[in-house]
Amino acid sequence: MSRFTKIALIGLILFPFAFLLMLSLGKQWPYPAIFPEQWSLSNWQLVLGGSEGLGNSVLVSVLLSLSVATLSTSLSFWVSRHIAYHPKREAWLSLAYFPYVFAPVILAACLQFFFIVAGLYGTFGGVLVAQLFITFPYGVIFFSSFWNERLRSMEELVKTLGGSTAQAYAKVLVPVAKGALMTCFFQLFLISWFEYGLTNLIGVGKVPTLTLRVFQYVSEANIFLAALASCLLILPPVALLWLNRAVVFREG
Amino acid sequence: MLTIKNINKQYKGEAVLQGLSFTLRAHEMLSILGRSGSGKTTLLKVLAGLETADSGQLLLDGQDLSPVPANQRGVVYLYQEALLFPHLNVFENIAFGLRLRRRPETEIKEKVNGLLQRLELPGQARKMPEQLSGGQRQRVAFGRALIIEPRVLLLDEPFGALDAETRRSMQQLLKRVAKDFGLTAIFVTHDLKEAMLMGDRLGMMQNGQLKIYGNRAEFIADESTGALDEARFWTDLQGLKLTK
Repeated sequence: MSRFTKIALIGLILFPFAFLLMLSLGKQWPYPAIFPEQWSLSNWQLVLGGSEGLGNSVLVSVLLSLSVATLSTSLSFWVSRHIAYHPKREAWLSLAYFPYVFAPVILAACLQFFFIVAGLYGTFGGVLVAQLFITFPYGVIFFSSFWNERLRSMEELVKTLGGSTAQAYAKVLVPVAKGALMTCFFQLFLISWFEYGLTNLIGVGKVPTLTLRVFQYVSEANIFLAALASCLLILPPVALLWLNRAVVFREG
Repeated sequence: MLTIKNINKQYKGEAVLQGLSFTLRAHEMLSILGRSGSGKTTLLKVLAGLETADSGQLLLDGQDLSPVPANQRGVVYLYQEALLFPHLNVFENIAFGLRLRRRPETEIKEKVNGLLQRLELPGQARKMPEQLSGGQRQRVAFGRALIIEPRVLLLDEPFGALDAETRRSMQQLLKRVAKDFGLTAIFVTHDLKEAMLMGDRLGMMQNGQLKIYGNRAEFIADESTGALDEARFWTDLQGLKLTK
């Protein structure tokens, strides 16, 4: 690859990020100016000052996505193992595709009644449970190809060597699956992080994730705050991507 | 002493083990010869507690093994593949059983280093499994089993994936180790010569039924073991050479 192509490619990848950062620092941008007429840190000061509630949205989003990714990854890892070795594996696995038959919003509409009855409507816990309906089956499908006869034999070997099921998980299965677990966690974090339909419908605006804030600013035509929220939206996934790359690819 | 009484096992209505009864004396290695699908692996898995027999009794030194879970039987099952844990080096693979039992570090070091010497693996302690040859991996697998001093060792075609030369050296090593450690073991194989070489006593498994022979001569005399066919083949070959 030539130096020019490399620079062009890097520029192409970085352009949207640089553009969003530029917009977040702008104040007025009348047509046909190429750049905003005023530059200011006031939008960022708003975030740091907490008056726009964006700091709270960052916290809610991080907490929600970390919880969803952690719960779904660990639960789907455990459940997928049982499905993989079950005589009716295919039937169980086909159930995991069920939530994807509908769009997330339709799924949320179907579940809405049950969430109201359970008192989960418009709560953090409700959004968390709603997102699990999408992320958990995804995790099960993700891990379904991970389990095989070799791993099963390893697990049996641990038992004949004197280990319990918990020790088989802690000392062999989890360390062997570390790369897959990290990748699944990362993907589920992203699904949760950028989730809009379910979060909006079940959260009814009371669980203000960053993704919801971006859509809110866009619908208000507040491009500067929308850009700022987008910048914040990108940072955690980028950090996680770097971490994922550093751990998984170094081991690979 | 391991006593098996009338063990039966079915899979989807098909009998895999049919009325198996035999006794394995302490410090004895029983070779079981059998083709694929004869029920050898199922028998070993039942003994290890990884499968449950439909009926019958398993007694180890008088203790009924049926209600005892696999991790409390002291019966180690070794597969054809070494199945070393890929995230652990040779030392940690061998030490695995002792770590499960939370043994003191000094004991672990002493025992693992001793085994590394006896299994002819000096200088390999820090290597990862993928850096070892097939034979070395199988030695580490033996070490990992032997370190916990199993009451019975079950070997399911452990040399099946090795080349002929490595296989021979591993057979000799296992014979030596079995004698040194006073192992009580069942060695299953589909290789006639290997069965004869490894076993103190010999058995033949066919269609879920096991026949144990009183001595080597009985085993050879039985047409179904293939030993006579093998002998005839070599005699005929010798005859051909002589006539040429």
